[in-house]
Amino acid sequence: MNTDALVIGAGTAGLIAATRLAQGGLRVLVVATGEGCLPLASGTVDVLGYAPGPVKSPLGALPGLLDAHPEHPYRLTGAAGLEQSVAWFLQVAAPLGYEGELTRNRWVPTVLGGLRPTALVPRGMAAADLGGGGEVLIAGIRGFRDFHPALVAENLCQATAAPAAAIQARAIELDWPGSAGDLVPFRLARRLEDAGIRRSLATQLRPKIGSAAAVGMPAVLGRETAADIHADLERRLGVPVFEIPGLPPSLPGLRLFDCLRRALRDAGGRLLLGSSAIAATHHQDTLDSVTITQASRPVEVSAGFFVLATGGFVTGGIVREPDGRLREPVFGLPVHGLAPGQQPFGDEYLSEHPLDRVGLSTDANGRPLGAAGAPHAVNLYAAGAVLAGALPWREKSGEGLSLATGWHAAEAILGCRREDVA
Amino acid sequence: MTEALECQLLVIGGGSTGAGVAWDAALRGFQVILADRGDLATGTTGRFHGLLHSGGRYVVRDPGGARECARENVILRRVASAAIEDTGGLFVTTPLDDLEYADRFFASCPAAEVPVEEISPAEALRREPRLTPAVRRAFVVQDGSIDSWKLVWSCAQGAKQLGARILPYHPVTAIVREGDRVIGARLHDLRSGGDVEVRAQCVINAAGAWSGQVARMAGCEVAVRPGKGVMVAINHRLADCVVNRCHMTGDGDIVVPSHSVSVIGTTDTPVEDPDDIEPTAEEVAKMMTAGDVLLPGFSRSRALRVWTGARPLLPKTATVGDDREVSRSHTVIRHAQRDDLGGLISIAGGKLTTYRLMAEDTVDAACAELGVERTCTTAETPLPGSTGRNYYRLPDHQADFEKGRADNPMVCECELVSRSDLLAAARRNPQVQIDDLRRVLRIGMGPCQGGFCAFRTAAILHGQKEYGRSQANAGLRAFVQERWKGQRPVLWGQQLRQAQLDAWIFQGVLDIEHMPT
Ligand SMILES: Cc1cc2nc3c(=O)[nH]c(=O)nc-3n(C[C@H](O)[C@H](O)[C@H](O)COP(=O)(O)OP(=O)(O)OC[C@H]3O[C@@H](n4cnc5c(N)ncnc54)[C@H](O)[C@@H]3O)c2cc1C
Ligand SMILES: Cc1cc2nc3c(=O)[nH]c(=O)nc-3n(C[C@H](O)[C@H](O)[C@H](O)COP(=O)(O)OP(=O)(O)OC[C@H]3O[C@@H](n4cnc5c(N)ncnc54)[C@H](O)[C@@H]3O)c2cc1C
Repeated sequence: MNTDALVIGAGTAGLIAATRLAQGGLRVLVVATGEGCLPLASGTVDVLGYAPGPVKSPLGALPGLLDAHPEHPYRLTGAAGLEQSVAWFLQVAAPLGYEGELTRNRWVPTVLGGLRPTALVPRGMAAADLGGGGEVLIAGIRGFRDFHPALVAENLCQATAAPAAAIQARAIELDWPGSAGDLVPFRLARRLEDAGIRRSLATQLRPKIGSAAAVGMPAVLGRETAADIHADLERRLGVPVFEIPGLPPSLPGLRLFDCLRRALRDAGGRLLLGSSAIAATHHQDTLDSVTITQASRPVEVSAGFFVLATGGFVTGGIVREPDGRLREPVFGLPVHGLAPGQQPFGDEYLSEHPLDRVGLSTDANGRPLGAAGAPHAVNLYAAGAVLAGALPWREKSGEGLSLATGWHAAEAILGCRREDVA
Repeated sequence: MTEALECQLLVIGGGSTGAGVAWDAALRGFQVILADRGDLATGTTGRFHGLLHSGGRYVVRDPGGARECARENVILRRVASAAIEDTGGLFVTTPLDDLEYADRFFASCPAAEVPVEEISPAEALRREPRLTPAVRRAFVVQDGSIDSWKLVWSCAQGAKQLGARILPYHPVTAIVREGDRVIGARLHDLRSGGDVEVRAQCVINAAGAWSGQVARMAGCEVAVRPGKGVMVAINHRLADCVVNRCHMTGDGDIVVPSHSVSVIGTTDTPVEDPDDIEPTAEEVAKMMTAGDVLLPGFSRSRALRVWTGARPLLPKTATVGDDREVSRSHTVIRHAQRDDLGGLISIAGGKLTTYRLMAEDTVDAACAELGVERTCTTAETPLPGSTGRNYYRLPDHQADFEKGRADNPMVCECELVSRSDLLAAARRNPQVQIDDLRRVLRIGMGPCQGGFCAFRTAAILHGQKEYGRSQANAGLRAFVQERWKGQRPVLWGQQLRQAQLDAWIFQGVLDIEHMPT
């Protein structure tokens, strides 16, 4: 097999890089073992939420972050690249109505009733910013194990994370019409396509709204037709409705995954799921081909450019052996971030653990470094959670990092191509 | 504010020994108070290996101890069946083990009353296909898997039904003396913050590895030498029966099936402080490699969690003045005879398998102390919930769960716990914490280590009257911290992936760190 660019990994970073490359005119193939973190994630694009104190403006806090952590992946894009990648993303994700600014974090509720900082939210969470306080009604579904409105509401009333005014939150539990079997997110989402169910929920809800400015619900409001379901509920209730994302699997994340996949296809890129990269062939300082598994058989794919977007430990982009050795399994790249003899974990769970920052180091173009400290290959780039230097869940920077660095890798490749042509 | 209580026997320590003493004494008609510094069975008893010994492990080295185990094994199957899974056990001779030891083992069983049957290596492999194919000899014994939490609770429940008072979260802070007699103890109620003064005719120190500390409060010595042992749980059952190496005992040579997991253990390292027993990476690595000898590929399986326990070992010299027969693997000390201090009895050493016998000997000593004669009946009286036939069976749990399935959401997928199980447990103990539910329902013990169920549990408890939102928030934080200690040493491969997914859940999706208190 032969292609212009081979992207390994179909998480946010891989899909973003691939779509951008395909839009830039390259023939692109994405191979991925699985779907990555997006279908598990909240669907918000967190750029920078804590550094380590609460961050009002991700752009404003960026210089301080890079001063404190010069190895942080955001150094690759800087503020300008970050802004461009976000502007580009807002276009690609337009079907889901993503909105937000890099100069102001929004504070959106969690299923525990806390507030968490994020930069970009889909249309379904546009009304979720409670950073300025306000009155909301939290509506749960009786018997749904992953959403407990009383807890959300009680905690929201005490929220301290938001800088501004107090929140008044009330809770209501709705009866799901004709309930049968386990109420799980996907089943609820599918059943909500039925207008009768929406009518029943709205009928229960309407009399309770009172002076609430918005209604918060578990993030189960449909998959493909989420926009219609959301609009219909808002029309029936007469107030904005927002989703509160919870435990995996997560519909807002899955919708973004669907959307990015479609954008890739529309741009002419191809995606092979269930296919893993297992080995590579080099010619001097250039990577020639990567061996992938297809239907359990090895197939060699040659390409001009390669993007490694295999994620962190969660998706197997980095592996830790029982003896503590760290490994990048596809190319055997050195994994950085832990000094020899350094303890990988601290005593307090909710503290910073050195292991959480490990990953690949790169040059300024995003090319991962080999054992000798120079780029492993001139045409290999790395992006996303596989990179060293960040503490994504503590900083609240997960999707933002993968977006920015995925976009950056594609730009670097497109830049090379332009140079070659010129 | 100090509350005053009175009883005949005050038992300090709610492990298997103390709970067994409380049950035995209550059956003999004594008024009993049982106090522990934490929840019941949170000392060594809740941190042990899970093996109901057949005696096989001791037949060559300590035939007396083996006989004790064998006899108690038969009795416990009768009176504590609900806490036991009748897995059976195998002793196998691997290529690393001396064939001559196998002969001695087999020859020593009858004298120690340990039932044994030799089977062919092929038959052993048929029963346990993951066993090393290089097995040279195999012996079937009556080992079982025993749930110490269930055991302790049924002892406590039985005692309570007979009028005993159970006081968890009540550390003993002082032993009260009047001249050369102990007349009671002072307890601190951790939950109310108050103190409780208990007057007792006899105080029983059943504090296991901590019994030295308790004895010191009375001004005397119990020379326990805490021995640290490490155990590792693997994410599923690699064998359905207990698998032992047939050799002169070593580290990591027993794998016990326990509910949905397999547990390998153990080691024995002397330590100063029974509360300072962190497992090390080296110990874990040693367990994982040791497992390969019995079950090849063991070291590549997914380790969920590590824990350690402190053995309450008594060196022989400590038994001076002891009035019991020396062949016992435990020691009852009547301080009246040894230290001229009346009203205090200490019990130390032993095993979980022999808890009943230890309790019998202890209460016999208490009878002597109080000058009464009352016969022990624990060998004939089933514990609440046990009928002598109703062994725990893993598939029954699944069947029970399926019965109540409709409209009863599953809270914990790993261990099959439903919302109604949770609410029932919360009703039984209104002050319940998420971590207590771990011991009662096994919440958070499976592969996800609480990633999914901890939040659900906290939220469902919050729906209960006595569980406010700050308790839910604090409970979650305490739970993840408690889990972290046991996970840290096994974070590699698949379990590290799981831990990082959990990190995204706890710190990304739920952001428990920034929750208001
Ligand atoms: C439960 C959960 C909640 C989250 N919540 C948020 C949130 O609220 N906000 C936020 O900003 N972020 C959140 N995140 C984080 C965010 O989803 C990730 O940081 C981000 O999506 C990572 O993207 P990635 O493309 O770098 O890697 P991943 O999404 O991990 O994708 C890696 C890809 O590489 C593939 N792969 C790996 N090895 C190979 C191989 N050898 N061959 C082929 N393919 C391979 C994988 O199958 C996968 O497709 C959450 C994550 C999780 C798990
Ligand atoms: C690693 C290991 C593995 C083992 N495996 C097995 C096995 O597989 N099979 C078997 O039969 N035996 C096994 N044993 C032995 C067995 O677990 C113990 O012998 C038994 O559990 C001891 O019970 P106990 O009640 O005496 O002590 P504990 O369970 O330790 O009880 C003592 C109690 O005293 C309490 N306490 C301490 N100080 C105070 C105070 N000041 N005030 C109030 N309370 C206090 C503690 O909280 C504790 O709950 C194992 C032991 C270890 C260490």
